[in-house]
Amino acid sequence: MSLSGGIEYTAVRELRGPLAIVEGVSGIGWDEYVRITLASGERRHGVVLDADRDLAVVQVLEGTAGMDPEGVRAAFSGSPLRVPVGTDWLGRVCNGRGEPLDGGPPVLGAHDAEVGGAPINPVRREPPSEPVLTGVGAVDALTTLVRGQKLPVFSVAGLPHLELAAQIAAQATAAGEAFSVVFAGMGLTHADASFVRDALEERSAAGELVLLLNTADDPVIERILTPRIALTVAEHLAFTVGRHVLVVMTDMTTYAEALREVSAARREIPARRAYPGYLYSDLASLYERCGRIRGRPGSVTVLPVLTMPAGDITHPVPDLTGYITEGQIVLSPETHARGVYPPLDALSSLSRLMRKGAGPGRTRDDHLDVAAQLLAALARARQIRDLADLVGQAALSPTDRRYLDFDKAFLRDFADQRSDRPRDLDASLERGWRALLTLPRSQLSMLPARLLDAHGAKDDPGTGVSR
Amino acid sequence: MTTPPGQMSDALSPVRAELLRAAHTDADALLARAEREAAALLDQARAEAGTILDDARRQGEADGADAARDRLVGARREARSRTLAARRESYEELRREPAERVRELRRADDYPSLRERLEHRARVLLGPAAEVTGHADGGVVAQVPGRRIDLSLTALADRALDRMGGEVRSLWAP
Repeated sequence: MSLSGGIEYTAVRELRGPLAIVEGVSGIGWDEYVRITLASGERRHGVVLDADRDLAVVQVLEGTAGMDPEGVRAAFSGSPLRVPVGTDWLGRVCNGRGEPLDGGPPVLGAHDAEVGGAPINPVRREPPSEPVLTGVGAVDALTTLVRGQKLPVFSVAGLPHLELAAQIAAQATAAGEAFSVVFAGMGLTHADASFVRDALEERSAAGELVLLLNTADDPVIERILTPRIALTVAEHLAFTVGRHVLVVMTDMTTYAEALREVSAARREIPARRAYPGYLYSDLASLYERCGRIRGRPGSVTVLPVLTMPAGDITHPVPDLTGYITEGQIVLSPETHARGVYPPLDALSSLSRLMRKGAGPGRTRDDHLDVAAQLLAALARARQIRDLADLVGQAALSPTDRRYLDFDKAFLRDFADQRSDRPRDLDASLERGWRALLTLPRSQLSMLPARLLDAHGAKDDPGTGVSR
Repeated sequence: MTTPPGQMSDALSPVRAELLRAAHTDADALLARAEREAAALLDQARAEAGTILDDARRQGEADGADAARDRLVGARREARSRTLAARRESYEELRREPAERVRELRRADDYPSLRERLEHRARVLLGPAAEVTGHADGGVVAQVPGRRIDLSLTALADRALDRMGGEVRSLWAP
């Protein structure tokens, strides 16, 4: 990073909270990266939040605690934060600012790139068409993730969303093609950070993973940089090196809260729930960095994980995320309470691009039909469960009771899976078939007769049940 | 009236013999049953032991596989962290060495002209009113109110290294 001529500004008018107000500056722009040296020689870093005439408001990433305005020297870099990019990132564990946590040297690269990035030109976007298989049966079969897609996980506090994110990051593959994962953890507790490190150790050792860990006690503005650094590294790995890259970002709600904190420090007018009015465009500036580019190899697929405060799907973060992304994977406390992992709420989950990445020639010929039939049967089972609550199980017809059996088989045999073992798509679809075959053949109207014959669907699958 | 002892023993001998025979038969039967039971128990115990052994072997194999995987992961982690530590060491060495070498420039014959050029550069950047002082490590530090520039030799070497960026990787690249 070249500092403009090496000039350092020494007139710090005021230190307030995380902000330092530097005077006598010239030619300073918003978001410029600042290197701050204290009288003791200690180095800190900052970002210009506001610049007006000869004043610059600098947010000090490490906070201003222990700083004496007298001895402070601030050197402005002349540009927003840039990070080196390249394959050196693979296998490294860094903090949210990209500094090593693994005892290695700083991450170096032949090139560097601005962390703000630039969204992909819409006319150069290539439509997504191939799947990323996550090794999580319910996700692969029902909400297939497609290369270049952005598919968020909506969860609530207390559900194993971090476990699911780590499992997907550890297992995901792209049909044998060069694949990497960039995992950006934001606002993680130390226990969570260490869980993530352990869970991803194998992939990290294999040189397929970049791990950025911003812990809950790290400075908030660093949390705003973390997903941007992750995406910048991912873009280079994808579009220059030619790998398929999955970027897992967790937890986006913590990110939005950091954005709110910085916005309040900037004294901006708050909008819904005190989040800044530009929350939508800010989230879009992250999510829209995924995709494929015509004429370039590789792809960037984004899997943001967010927790809905109090389970409220209308909360600004899930609400605005839902506008931008292409579907969602919703986790359900009820399914979790039934002891099923991953606790997917299949009826609320949807991958809008699934049809482009699954089915004949892409995954398996019967994939889309089986998924559609599973969801249709599940919807019917839910209606019947509600009905049974009103009239009692005894009043249900035998077919209706079959649906309740299907519901159980779906959760127990199809959805439930160990968090440390991948399940391939074939095995998942076969389990889906087994659950479906608990229903009478006449109920499986979305599946072609040829497939029903091949799987031996019967009019009366159970014993002692008449229709 | 008494029966002579020899006569009484004769009279009881069939009873005695019968009792003895019955006792022998019982004992034989008991012994046979005990042997059968013992054999059955032994068979059962052998079967159970076999099952336990099989279970233990399976469990042991599974535990062993898990442990082997853990050790492999642990070994990889260790190897990786040693590689990274070695790279860090050579990186730090690379930063230390030039800093020491540039300090030696102070004793070089052309140092006064170098210092003059640095002073000139400082005045270009901060203006003619800049107060220029020498730095203990060689080079100069200049300041005007509110601004300062560090043109000490070590700082210049540091900045030059920063600019090298990715080239540093050649230290450990194969």
